[in-house]
Amino acid sequence: MMKGSSLTLAFLVTCSVLASAQDSKIGELRGNANSGKALYRRYCIGCHGAHGDGAGESAPHLDPKPRDFTKAAFKCRSTPSGNLPTDTDLYDTISRGIYNTGMPSWRPLTRQQRADLVAYIKTFSSRFQEEPPVASVTIPAEQPTSAESVKRGAGLFQSMNCWSCHGKEGRGNGPSAQTLTDSKGYPIRPFDFTDGSHFKCGETGRDLFRDLTTGLDGTPMPSFADSMKPDQIWDLVHYIQTLNEDTGGFFHRAKHKVQ
Amino acid sequence: MNKHSYYLAIFCLIFVCGMTLLDADRIGATPAPGGSSVTGVVKFKGTAEKPTRIDMSADPFCAKAHPNGATTEDVVTDASGGLENVVVYVSDGLGAATFPVPDQPAVMEQKGCQYKPHVLAMRAGQKLSVVNSDATTHNIHPTPNNNREWNVSQPQGAPLEQVFAREEVAISVKCNIHPWMKSYIAVVKNPYFAVTEKGGTFELKDLPPGNYTLQAWHEKLGTKTKMITVAAGASPTVEFDFQ
Amino acid sequence: MDSSRGWRRCGWIAVMVLFGSALPAFGIPAFARKYNLRCSDCHEAWPKLNNFGQTFKDNGYQLMTGRDTPIFQQGAYFPVAFRTFASWHREYNSLVAVDTIPGNPAAGQMESPVSKSGFNISGLTIWAAGTVAKNISFGFQTEIDNSGTATLATYFARFDNLLGSPWLNVKVGKFELDTLISEERELVYSNTGGFYRNYHFVPAGDSTNFGLGDNQLGAELMGHSRNDYTRYSIAVLNSTNGVADTPTNTYDLYADFTQGFEIPKLGLQRVGVYGYFGERPTFSQTSNGAPIPGTGLGNRSFSRTGIYGLWYLGKFDFSTFYLHGQDNVFLGNSVAANQPGDLPPGAVGPTWNGGFFEAHYTYNPQLIVIGKYETVQMSRQANPATPNDFGDMKVWTVGYRWYPIMNNRAGLAWHQEYAIAHTTGTAPLSGKNETNSSYLMGFDLEF
Repeated sequence: MMKGSSLTLAFLVTCSVLASAQDSKIGELRGNANSGKALYRRYCIGCHGAHGDGAGESAPHLDPKPRDFTKAAFKCRSTPSGNLPTDTDLYDTISRGIYNTGMPSWRPLTRQQRADLVAYIKTFSSRFQEEPPVASVTIPAEQPTSAESVKRGAGLFQSMNCWSCHGKEGRGNGPSAQTLTDSKGYPIRPFDFTDGSHFKCGETGRDLFRDLTTGLDGTPMPSFADSMKPDQIWDLVHYIQTLNEDTGGFFHRAKHKVQ
Repeated sequence: MNKHSYYLAIFCLIFVCGMTLLDADRIGATPAPGGSSVTGVVKFKGTAEKPTRIDMSADPFCAKAHPNGATTEDVVTDASGGLENVVVYVSDGLGAATFPVPDQPAVMEQKGCQYKPHVLAMRAGQKLSVVNSDATTHNIHPTPNNNREWNVSQPQGAPLEQVFAREEVAISVKCNIHPWMKSYIAVVKNPYFAVTEKGGTFELKDLPPGNYTLQAWHEKLGTKTKMITVAAGASPTVEFDFQ
Repeated sequence: MDSSRGWRRCGWIAVMVLFGSALPAFGIPAFARKYNLRCSDCHEAWPKLNNFGQTFKDNGYQLMTGRDTPIFQQGAYFPVAFRTFASWHREYNSLVAVDTIPGNPAAGQMESPVSKSGFNISGLTIWAAGTVAKNISFGFQTEIDNSGTATLATYFARFDNLLGSPWLNVKVGKFELDTLISEERELVYSNTGGFYRNYHFVPAGDSTNFGLGDNQLGAELMGHSRNDYTRYSIAVLNSTNGVADTPTNTYDLYADFTQGFEIPKLGLQRVGVYGYFGERPTFSQTSNGAPIPGTGLGNRSFSRTGIYGLWYLGKFDFSTFYLHGQDNVFLGNSVAANQPGDLPPGAVGPTWNGGFFEAHYTYNPQLIVIGKYETVQMSRQANPATPNDFGDMKVWTVGYRWYPIMNNRAGLAWHQEYAIAHTTGTAPLSGKNETNSSYLMGFDLEF
């Protein structure tokens, strides 16, 4: 019968998939999950827990709660909604940290250490072995901002119902803001564009474009990939970039890229 | 061929055929026409709380769609106690049988800023088509435990198709823009399921003979289980009672 | 008996008493509580910092995630931490001047080994540090020794990330000189091995009142790259070795620069260069013969310069340190600059070279093994009559620390250590080589 040879084939395929799932690939960096395990025990386990489920000893004291890696739903990704992040997405999140949360920037760890952590984090969910990798969304070139683009963006902010969560002025006080919960059921606040805070998944226009296209999984922020054309998303980005009322004054904030 | 090889070949043939026959009505079987129907009713015993009013004033379009207001749909009963929106399905007894997935999609519609139907049952692996019939942008956000979570914004008329790969009864669905919008999608891996409508009645058609576990799931009142036996030619009835 | 012998006798005892009774700065459970991070996040093994913790410190005790300012803390949070060390120890000195007949000074003196042991506590160190507002940090450290005397060891305000840049931070107050090999974060505490000799060594008979490891009083400009790989600091300090309230009108200068780089598979490596250039008075104004504090005259200069490195190879890490010390001839011979005739014939400014090699093996965040070898070698004695290797020393220290609990609330370590030091020619009576050793074991407790 066919079962025997297909079983062998399945076994070999699984082995090779498992072997590569122990590693991570970020540019020319290769991370190793065994090295990442020791690093996780030092740096991550207090919040994310020994089983990677976000139930570390510090979790009861944190808001928002630490990520549950077993669900493999991540906020900052370059892949469409519902999909796994790429290794580079995880690496960037570890390096950048997540502003306004308990997740610090781990840039002081070496690049190799961060790559090893990515490889280990992937072992917490079998999705990384089961699901085939998905391509990142394309971010087309940005046309320069202009008064018209900002005006169109303001119109989209209205018609796409962004205001219902983020508020008419983008203060995070829209009519449904207080009802929002993350996918674990904890209350969650929509972003306030006006107070000079930092976007969680990167600050550049391209980062905002990507966030609007991929959505932030695990949160109420959806993907607008099917709702708006790329030009429209750029218009909305340009509008959002005008909302910040805190220019920083004399102490301007330096913008930087993830290393 | 000598005598031993001859008998060995016969044995293998019988063995293989027998194995195949044993699985015949499991592997690749469709609901066998001529199988039995299981019918029944789900009843709610007791007094249901009155549904609460929904305030849709946050979105002018939604408020206009309901000039007399709208109410929550979590426990819907009629005068005889029939309970609506209960998913009844076969949770055990079919063994390792697989069933082909229908080509036509299951449809969840956003109309008047409410989900229609409030509870949708569909097959694992079947396409889900989400339709926005309202002149306002909705956000469809299922929060599954056993399936991939996705979260998509959808303006009027924009097409949207997704698939849930694994059985899960049931996935709760929300719209982050309109917080009162809530629905459930029950994803079942076999074709023997139904969602009770007005009167609380249901029918599971063409079930082959066997012993089965039936479950009745309600979003607020929990899950009830019953074991039934379907004999060839018989059409059992089942009643589920919720309090 | 010439004055140099007196220095010999008193100097080392004074040094040992100072460092035997007080504990340096430490891991700060207050930070762990504030950010819900475990000790192991910032510390290789507390109190030694890893790069993440060093970056946190260089940012002004800020994680830069938008929640550093006190307004984000629970109202009841207080940024204070406490430390004490309860131990049993044994001290051994091979050659101590003792009366031949105890209680009878007329019977003359001899050299005899002396050994002491018993339980001990280190006193109490209280540290408060954190932010008062975004990018304004502070630190206070008070040490109460076992006799109850309190010393204000550290107190500073720091203005962080000026002009929005991590390259500009200004600290004012009394603080440890900026260095990546911090004596305040050492992993050894015995009387013999628990400090860096090179951070305090002054040749016998030298009047320079200075230790690289002593907290200094002044102002520091410091900057670092965002991942803390490149760091510099420049400080202007009072010429009083950190003693406050005695202005001297002269200032010392300290500068330090380090650069980090990654070696793939091995980890982060760092090299640094430093220099301290200071001056001290050799005499002062007097009133009725008594010196008036702060009116130092006859200033002469001294320097401490060198290079160091921190090397990470997987679970091993090494600190390497080299120092070149140089004091002016008047300082080296403790002679007032207005009395050059008091200099011994052929007097020169003393110079010396020293260094240490310290290795750690971090088995896991809760167990670290330490080994250290340190040496100081005179290159030129201030008084040519002194033997060239007089005062040279070699010190070996081994130990380990085990941290049975690792959480974000408090810390406890079980500590064991043995150190042995050989110094050349310093026996008080015979000028023979001396050997001192310490054995220490105990519990290091922080809350």
